[in-house]
Amino acid sequence: MEHAEEEVPRIGVFICHCGVNIGGVVNVPEVVKYAMTLPNVVYAEDNLYTCSSEGLSKIKESIGKHNLNRVIVASCTPRTHEPLFRATCEEAGVNKYLFEMANIREHCSWAHMHEPDKATEKAKDIVRMAVAKARLLKPQDEPEIEVTPSALVIGGGISGMMSAICLADQGFKVYLVEKEPELGGMLRHLHKLFPTMLNASEGLNKIVEGVKQNKNIEVWPSTVVKQVKGFIGNFDVSVQRENRETANFQVGTIIVATGADIFEPVGMYGYKKYDNVITQFKLEQLLKDNQLKKPERVVMIQCVGAREEKGRTYCSRICCMEALKNALLVRELHPETDVYILFRDLQTYGREYEEWRRMAQDKGVKFIKYNLEKPPEVVAGHDGKLTIDVYHALLSEQVQIESDLVVLSTPLVQREDAKELSQTLKVPLGPDGFFFEAHVKLRPIDFATDGIYVCGTAHSPKDTAESVSQALGVASRASIPMAVKRLRTEAITAMVDESLCSGCGTCVKICPYGAIEKDEKGVARVTAVVCKGCGICGASCPEKAITMRHFTDEQVVAQAFAALGRAVA
Amino acid sequence: METSKSVLVIGGGIAGMQASLDLASRGLKVYLVEKTPSIGGRMSQLDKTFPTMDCSICILAPKMIECFRHPNLTILTYSEFQEVSGSAGNFMVKILKKPRFVNEEKCTGCGVCAQHCPVEVPNEFDMGIGVRKAIYVPFPQAVPLKYTVDEEHCLKCGLCQKICQAQAVDLNQKPEVVHLNVGAIVVATGFELFDVQRRSEYGYGKYKNVLISLEFERLLSASGPTGGHLLRLSDGRIPKRIAFIQCVGSRSLKGGVSFCSNACCMYATKEAILIREHEPECEVYIFYNELKVFGKGFQDFITGAQTHWGVKYIRALPGEVVEDSKTGDLTLWYEDTIENVTKSIKVDIVMLCPALVPRATNKEVSVILGLELDEHGFFKPKDFLFAPVDTNVPGVFICGYCQGPKDISESVVQASAAAARAAEVIALSAGKEVH
Amino acid sequence: MAYEPKIVAFLCNWCSYAGADLAGTSRICYPPNVRAIRVMCSGRVDPAFVITAFETGADGILVTGCHPGDCHYVSGNLKAEKRMENVKKLLGLLGLRPERLRLEWISTSEGEKFAEVVADFTEQLRKMEPNPLRAEVNPRAPENTKDVISKAVKKTNVQYCLECGKCSSSCPISKLNDAYSPRRTVEKTLLGFENRVLSGTDLWTCLTCFTCTERCPSDVKFPEFVRACRRLASKEIMEELCAHRGIPMALSRIMMNPKIRQERMGWLPNGAEISSKNDLLYFVGCLPYFDVAFEDFNLNLLKIPQSVVKVLNKVGIKPAMLRNEKCCGHDLLWTGDVENFEKLAKMNVADFKKTGATRIVTACPECYRTLQKDYAERLGNFDFEVLHFSELLSELVDKGQIEFEGKLQRKVVYQDPCRLGRHMGVYEPPRKVIASIPGVQMVEMGRNRENAVCCGVNAWLSCNKYSKEVQIDRLMEAKATGADLLVTACPKCQIHWKCVTSEKLPVNPEEVTMEMRDLSVLVAEAMHLT
Repeated sequence: MEHAEEEVPRIGVFICHCGVNIGGVVNVPEVVKYAMTLPNVVYAEDNLYTCSSEGLSKIKESIGKHNLNRVIVASCTPRTHEPLFRATCEEAGVNKYLFEMANIREHCSWAHMHEPDKATEKAKDIVRMAVAKARLLKPQDEPEIEVTPSALVIGGGISGMMSAICLADQGFKVYLVEKEPELGGMLRHLHKLFPTMLNASEGLNKIVEGVKQNKNIEVWPSTVVKQVKGFIGNFDVSVQRENRETANFQVGTIIVATGADIFEPVGMYGYKKYDNVITQFKLEQLLKDNQLKKPERVVMIQCVGAREEKGRTYCSRICCMEALKNALLVRELHPETDVYILFRDLQTYGREYEEWRRMAQDKGVKFIKYNLEKPPEVVAGHDGKLTIDVYHALLSEQVQIESDLVVLSTPLVQREDAKELSQTLKVPLGPDGFFFEAHVKLRPIDFATDGIYVCGTAHSPKDTAESVSQALGVASRASIPMAVKRLRTEAITAMVDESLCSGCGTCVKICPYGAIEKDEKGVARVTAVVCKGCGICGASCPEKAITMRHFTDEQVVAQAFAALGRAVA
Repeated sequence: METSKSVLVIGGGIAGMQASLDLASRGLKVYLVEKTPSIGGRMSQLDKTFPTMDCSICILAPKMIECFRHPNLTILTYSEFQEVSGSAGNFMVKILKKPRFVNEEKCTGCGVCAQHCPVEVPNEFDMGIGVRKAIYVPFPQAVPLKYTVDEEHCLKCGLCQKICQAQAVDLNQKPEVVHLNVGAIVVATGFELFDVQRRSEYGYGKYKNVLISLEFERLLSASGPTGGHLLRLSDGRIPKRIAFIQCVGSRSLKGGVSFCSNACCMYATKEAILIREHEPECEVYIFYNELKVFGKGFQDFITGAQTHWGVKYIRALPGEVVEDSKTGDLTLWYEDTIENVTKSIKVDIVMLCPALVPRATNKEVSVILGLELDEHGFFKPKDFLFAPVDTNVPGVFICGYCQGPKDISESVVQASAAAARAAEVIALSAGKEVH
Repeated sequence: MAYEPKIVAFLCNWCSYAGADLAGTSRICYPPNVRAIRVMCSGRVDPAFVITAFETGADGILVTGCHPGDCHYVSGNLKAEKRMENVKKLLGLLGLRPERLRLEWISTSEGEKFAEVVADFTEQLRKMEPNPLRAEVNPRAPENTKDVISKAVKKTNVQYCLECGKCSSSCPISKLNDAYSPRRTVEKTLLGFENRVLSGTDLWTCLTCFTCTERCPSDVKFPEFVRACRRLASKEIMEELCAHRGIPMALSRIMMNPKIRQERMGWLPNGAEISSKNDLLYFVGCLPYFDVAFEDFNLNLLKIPQSVVKVLNKVGIKPAMLRNEKCCGHDLLWTGDVENFEKLAKMNVADFKKTGATRIVTACPECYRTLQKDYAERLGNFDFEVLHFSELLSELVDKGQIEFEGKLQRKVVYQDPCRLGRHMGVYEPPRKVIASIPGVQMVEMGRNRENAVCCGVNAWLSCNKYSKEVQIDRLMEAKATGADLLVTACPKCQIHWKCVTSEKLPVNPEEVTMEMRDLSVLVAEAMHLT
């Protein structure tokens, strides 16, 4: 749906000082003066902080006073405030797609801090480019869609289950899909959970019961997600159960709670070479099944395969507490057993986690710090024992420890099948392999793709309490679209000029979202609500029959010309 | 009685705001109560946030404005939560709106009153470094952008009243009591800073060039007292060497609190990077004991600081800071535990990273609501593992730093978690009704 | 009295030894009670030799040298004379008759004189009681090292160490001496390397000033840990590192002997009023001995107890005093001699009880801490309130009972003694007292109260170049405040500072020399009582 208005653009330009972030480098008043010389610019002013309520009021005021029908704000990156300014324009009666931003901070004043003259010139160019595009902008409509009030939770571990229960209690239908035959995830294999030392099975069983008894939750064990089509509010999900039965669900939101795997340190510190070198996870199993033969001296090595120079550079957060917990359990079972913990930096960050370090110190656990540059060595000793050679970083001397059980603390890593899932859902994995959220600080459990959320160790290593917090968090995030039942979607979608389309089908093949089909006439047709507006089709069409709303070929080229100083008609 | 489909959120920092927005976006009515004149909390005082180095107020302001504009959200700033009765599904709460002596409907935020006010006092938002007037907004992006008269320092000269074009100043304004009926309550009161004067060996309060981190954030902020210029407060000189001291008051069995404050290793690194950005000639040292790199992206951030920005990390907690009273220069004594040598280093500025502690006023809140506090003053979750945002009182939830030490990302997550629980409780309570 | 006195004689090589030889060659007989030790010069005779010999049971000690003017080493004999005079005074204080120590000049040709002296001395000694001291010098009972250390680790929080290094960088010695690090000492202990800790010098280097304890985030009480370990550590090393060759500790032990009746009240001023029974007991400490041992410093240390008694008398208190007061045992405890400390403590408490006192006041912070804290902890049953004199003065000032006469126009800087300040938390009472003196202007050093710097030596241990540096640095800091009078509430501080300023200094004496006064003496002066 497009408005066929052909009105003369009346552009208002608002140039922000952003305190001294921009104004301290760029000569803002000069840019304001320059803006006024540009074609179709009828008004220009500068603000100290355009994004403040004062600045926003001035925009609205000026729209009214000067009859503006296009607005440009020259300030920071659109990624921060575009929605805010767009909403402000709408309030003043200007369609939000008639708004354009000129980034003269991140792309200008901040990057050219020591060359104010050149920065000012560049700012003028950027404003000119924005004006060139703004002249060609057309208003757009955002289609409204209905939201199916049901959610798909992928992963039946503690995170998946907690978010399922929370959503179900709020009245939403939840499909809980779990790859394994039973629910529970990692917690099934754990012994005691720090810091309350509750038996994992005890805590888990209550939750599993809660899930099974909840009428709004449909549990699908031994099931994997095969395909996901659609968009927020309208996902079409295909699943396959036990490699035979397939099913389809319609859901409004999707929650990824697929958990993580534990790194196996093959080839490190004698793992798989010596029988008495095991992982912390294996120790957990032994303690749980009461299978630990009394060791004389246990040596735990932290950061095995984590915090590396390259590859797994991250810290896996929970291993230090795991080690402390297990060290205390071992000492409780076998008070004569010596325990050493070889660490780099002890991650005892939680409210009472430092107390645990003290408890371990009280029980005589010995702590030796080693550095990345000089890691410990594990070699065969006498009588089937092992000798651990470690450079004590704080005493500056080599220490040798004889041990009959070496425990390696390894990090959580992303699961093998996550790559496939990330492609199925079209959500990204980060540099550390874990799922990558929309914004690390302010949108940590949302994906950039609307309607899909992530929680638990699928997001990053964390413990039970933190997983539960995130699980409840995504329940809140997912409940928002489902509660309001209707959503407005982006207007930036592809449109086909049927008269130019030759029906070659290139765009159909190339669309990552499957948003284009050939219709009965053999001509390309875009399903706007599926289209994400990437523009790949536009660039591939040999006939130039497809273009993007708000990013038309004309608009893009106009900006290029403006950048190069070529005169515009 | 019919379940109230509204929620009271106590505390207008990032956690309170996130919880409010989640709840308001899903159709519940939210009352956000904040005791200072503006929402925004600690995040508004920061210059940048780790590990993305986003401008803090830039990513915060949209959320603040969203809170302000959301049809389902009512913000009550300069207000305090006073009383409560009832139970989950139906709490009756009493809020006291302190008089700001300015009519919020009429005030346009133009600032002329402040220009004429004769009284200057240290600006709390700038940690006492800059000044403000007795009639003020705490910071330029304040929400709501309405002026407030600080009753304690106001001379009642009436100049502001005379000069206000909108006739918004009302020096006779009385406190207002607001009664609300809500279905659930979310507590998000945040933190305050440990009093580092208790660690007298570092000379804070005695030596002009010993600062605490939040003061530093204000110095670095473009809207701060020095306009973002990195200067020594004693003589205005550009520093050539700055030292950060971690764990001041944290992880202590005596003279502090026993827990780790979670964010200090990272924010010190962030500030160090900002210093190196502002002044490439300035050396920066971070004196630490254990590097807490447990969060997503933390280790890479610190590795980058070391390798790319040349920030020097020394594993030592300094024993003392001594001042040369003539120059204001500081000498710091430390034992480099890796090199095994005790030595001193002369620096221009010492930055202390104080422990972040739960507010003393949590006690009042806990008494009013009947909540349990732990030995440090944090609100106690009902079950640390499986009910981390619930409390011993059904229908009352906690999130953010007041529940336990954490950074911004975790506060945001927990805020959504508290919102989910609040929504759940209201849904369940409404579902149980028999009409 | 049919006992045979045992005499130990120190004979100088050049004259006296030859003289004794001549007696033999000439067949001149004399009683066989003497055992000779040859030294090159009578100046070689260390007072410690004499004290040790007495402690071990010698009834008499004979020191002989060349006649004055004839000393092979010019004036060694004159030094011997001065030293032995000093030792005689100590013996006098102990109630051991000074005549037990005899100094004689005997030349090569004076064989007869030698014989006469020995005979005369033996006869003289026969008429006296045998030396009551017959103690073996402390064989220590073997102890389970691991057990003792493990208990000490738990008691002093050592196991909570975060290895942060704050202790080492707060320690006045560690800052100067890289080889010493409290942190590394703790780490070695926790890793099971106690033998290295016990056999090294680390344990004896600690000043026990508590600066590290004050600042440690894990509340590790390192000096108390060190103290517990000293019990197990090598005594030989301790003696090597102990200044004044362990004489003070020997004196403390000697006082314990039940047959010793000290004569230590000579300092009492005329007209002073004391009692044998009173609610308040004044505990003097070892000042009479220090006064003799350090008489060269001209510190007039006896003014301290004199001032205390005068002030007490002025406000109407006639304090109880112990005529045979024994050392509080501080140095014994802090050098690891726990057994003797406990014996001494029990004896003192028994004596305290006899006076009927409920309050004990002392002008020495070491005695104050030892009585208030260590006696109470180790004996269990200790029902006395112990005050430092500054606390008592502060009380009296509050009640308005102290009358100052005229004005004392002095600019005063106050040193917080470690035992009074960081150990016991007493910072304000001395300041209140000083500030209440009319005319006095108080200034503070930058490093004051809990950040004050130790006077550099503790229990006479490890007094070395590092101690000197610490002392000079502190005195310069005091001088730099512009004060003209340095006041302290601890006699040891004064002694150690006077010691360093009496030596050849690496700095301009102007920068460190300050008039010093004990708080009690200052107050007495201001009250015109002296």
